[in-house]
Amino acid sequence: MKSTRNWLLIIAIIAIVAILGYNYIYQDHRNIEKEAPTFTMEAQDLVSEFSSDPTAAETKYLNNTIAVSGIVTESSTQSITLNDKIFCQLSQPAETTLVQGQSITIKGRVIGYDDLLEELKLDQCNPINN
Amino acid sequence: MKTLVYLLLCLSLTGFAQEKYLTKTGTLEFEASVPSFEEVAAKNTSVTAILNADNGEFASLALVKGFRFKNALMEEHFNENYAESSEFPKATFKGTFKDFEGNSLSGKQQFTIDGELTFHGVTNTLKDIPVIIEKQGDQLILTGSFVVLISDYNIKIPSIVENKISKDVKVSFNFTLDKK
Repeated sequence: MKSTRNWLLIIAIIAIVAILGYNYIYQDHRNIEKEAPTFTMEAQDLVSEFSSDPTAAETKYLNNTIAVSGIVTESSTQSITLNDKIFCQLSQPAETTLVQGQSITIKGRVIGYDDLLEELKLDQCNPINN
Repeated sequence: MKTLVYLLLCLSLTGFAQEKYLTKTGTLEFEASVPSFEEVAAKNTSVTAILNADNGEFASLALVKGFRFKNALMEEHFNENYAESSEFPKATFKGTFKDFEGNSLSGKQQFTIDGELTFHGVTNTLKDIPVIIEKQGDQLILTGSFVVLISDYNIKIPSIVENKISKDVKVSFNFTLDKK
């Protein structure tokens, strides 16, 4: 009687370890859309921070979720550019493009500073309605 | 008279301003899978690439954090342990196409490019990478692939996963460049 109970206990432990292990190995990706932004700021402030010291700014913002408000200078179904210098790649293709010159707030993840074009790049971006 | 000729010359020279082709959303993929083990592959769809069609100079930059894996844990390990993307956030390639004449591009042509690839803080020279350039209206579509060794980029694979990751990595690219 006691040995069956022990066996059941061992099997239960193995099952729990297996489930935990599986969930660890096949965990979900970060969901930037649902994350609260670490930084919320104006596009022009962000741009000036990157133009004065790209390396320090990159270290500060890299891999963080930010919400940035600016003016649309370029828009396609795949991406939105704010203030000429912040390139936001959308998480899903948009159905419509935005009018240039309109103000918008975008939330996304900073993936780094592009030296070639002197642009900041964000991925998994979503416009925020406010 | 001399000054006039000089002025005209200057004007005509500026007329032949650099012809540049550019993309901000190029695709770069790599794969280091070993058969019968889980796929080790990632894709970056926000790669910048610039081609100067006058002289065949080419530059490309991929932000390492932009590489996405199917498996989130694999992506985390790639960023933290292998590519160390917080310390080395950029991967770059700079090179020049050989026997390149921007004006005579038409249809699909194969070229080769020599250049320097920097990843994980290490720069290596790559030679004779075949690239297919296809001209479609005002766009140039560059495609190709090459193989690099993990060990050339100072990346150490722990022995526990050594047999699950290929020692050579196949890198393939697809850049649709717009005329600027």
